[in-house]
Amino acid sequence: MATVSFRKIEKAYGPVKVIHGIGFDIADGEFVVLVGPSGCGKSTLLRMLAGLEEITGGEILIDDKVVNDLESKDRDIAMVFQSYALYPHMTVRDNMAFSLKLRKADAKLTAERVENAARILNLGALLDRYPKELSGGQRQRVAMGRAIVRDPKVFLFDEPLSNLDAKLRVAMRAEIKALHQRLKTTTVYVTHDQIEAMTMADRIVVMHDGIIEQIGTPLELYDRPGNLFVAQFIGSPAMNVFEGVLQREGGVMSVSALGALWPVAGLSGGSHGQKVHYGIRPGDLTLADAGIAAEVVVVEPTGAETELLLQVGSGATAQQLILVMHGRTDAQPGQTVHLAIDGAMAHVFDGQGGQRL
Amino acid sequence: MSKGLTLKKVSTEAKLLLIGIPVFLWTIIPVYHLVLFAISGRDEATSGHLWPKNPTLQNFDFVFNQKHFYLDHFWVQMGNSVLIAGAVGAITLFVATSAAFAISRLKLAGGRWVMNLALFTYFIPAAFLAVPMYKTMGNYGLLNNQWSLILAMVTIASPYCIWVLKQASDKLPWELDEAARMDGATPLQLFRLVYLPLMVPSLVAVGTYSLLLAWNEYLYAFLLLSNDNKVTLAVALGHFLSADDSPWELLMATGLIYALPPAAIYYAFKRYMVGGLTAGAVKS
Repeated sequence: MATVSFRKIEKAYGPVKVIHGIGFDIADGEFVVLVGPSGCGKSTLLRMLAGLEEITGGEILIDDKVVNDLESKDRDIAMVFQSYALYPHMTVRDNMAFSLKLRKADAKLTAERVENAARILNLGALLDRYPKELSGGQRQRVAMGRAIVRDPKVFLFDEPLSNLDAKLRVAMRAEIKALHQRLKTTTVYVTHDQIEAMTMADRIVVMHDGIIEQIGTPLELYDRPGNLFVAQFIGSPAMNVFEGVLQREGGVMSVSALGALWPVAGLSGGSHGQKVHYGIRPGDLTLADAGIAAEVVVVEPTGAETELLLQVGSGATAQQLILVMHGRTDAQPGQTVHLAIDGAMAHVFDGQGGQRL
Repeated sequence: MSKGLTLKKVSTEAKLLLIGIPVFLWTIIPVYHLVLFAISGRDEATSGHLWPKNPTLQNFDFVFNQKHFYLDHFWVQMGNSVLIAGAVGAITLFVATSAAFAISRLKLAGGRWVMNLALFTYFIPAAFLAVPMYKTMGNYGLLNNQWSLILAMVTIASPYCIWVLKQASDKLPWELDEAARMDGATPLQLFRLVYLPLMVPSLVAVGTYSLLLAWNEYLYAFLLLSNDNKVTLAVALGHFLSADDSPWELLMATGLIYALPPAAIYYAFKRYMVGGLTAGAVKS
């Protein structure tokens, strides 16, 4: 159990700076997910916490103690690697016991811890097998078992699910989450998959090009993305975004774009005539009898939901939007439909910096 | 089955045979003569028969019981060969494994330099180095001491072994080292508990290679050792030819005996040899 703090962390490989002064705190027992596109520095940040990469600038603290110059093994952290990194020549039991063996732990205690971890992860029957005799999901569980046995202050996960197939990934996602709820160990989890981040995290740190774009709970990020990058990164299908001009007439605000007026509500800033990006999530667009006209391009029924690809406007300014609705629709490609929008659901971002207005 | 034999398959088979048969003959004919001489009596050996009329094992009796002038020290010399080859294999393994681990896994500064220098040694044929080596060993007072041959062979075998092991080391997943480091392993524990067990196939290949290199060495053994009690059997075999009427049948019988251990070793470890020596050949 521990807190983790990053203070103005910088990382450079020679002259190339990849992390530009990142700072945030992780509370005791919190499950924090670092998410971002590849190359954003999230894995590097995790590896610096793990002690596998030198820290160019700033400080990392575990339990208020600076660990910059501590060896990995002295930081009391355990890591689950993307490739599992199981020792191929050792049985599952030996893999899990390895760290305790190196610490010269009592044999009885070691056996107890391994049995316990095996029970938690349902690995009991596999203890005497070798990694090559296990399936991907089982290997992943052994890698987690190896971390659990250590009973570390912090768990680190480096894209642990990306080598698994889609179905297994969903199952393991739930397992890791359940494991965290049971053990309540502070966890830092790196992924490029925003759905993993949304479903697992207590708090998400969205990173991009070596800086933090936004930190917040999954729903905060979803409901109030702080900038255009977060808005487009979080959520699936991605938010519809297009350019427009802010209109302020009387007390009513709207954005004029694609030959129509798009409603806006609850805006804190922004001035009349300002260039903006207008964003609306696919689930917040609804079909109505009257409203903004759009042409149906593709209809994709998935059973419970239907996804419509729509085209608004015409010619060079035409924009394709995605609409997701519950249930079914009679709409056919080529048909014109009308969109109703709740202004409170709209997201407006500055046309220049992309900050939320 | 015979219906499935298309013309294409037949021609492929034929091409293989066309290459295979000459290679097979090329390899087997000297061995055949070796065996033929070894089981023939003194007068019969050069008679030109494909198979001796009275095959005999008497030559082996001569060899094993040291019943000939040239064979006075057979068992001592055989022992020397075993000792020297074993020592060369062991020391080369130790040197090459340590070097490969330090360069490949610990990323030691200057590792590339060492690798390039190791490669550079092979620009100069070993025979050219024989005289300098002789002089060096003389400076250290090691001439006619078996350590001189052991050290010389380790010197010759190591660079290649370092290369093979370095290439094989590079293929081990880096995450294993990181996982071990996080598990609390020191570099020495990493070496002993993770690296060595995973390198076994390459280690066997490299150990066998250096062992056989030393076992088959003639030039350096001939130069550096002179006493009959110190030389290896390979040199002793050479002595057979110093007289006009060499006892060919005994030479061949001894040669056959000398050829058996490498054959046995190769057979036992061939699984590793092929895998290990090609393992470092291409960078995947």
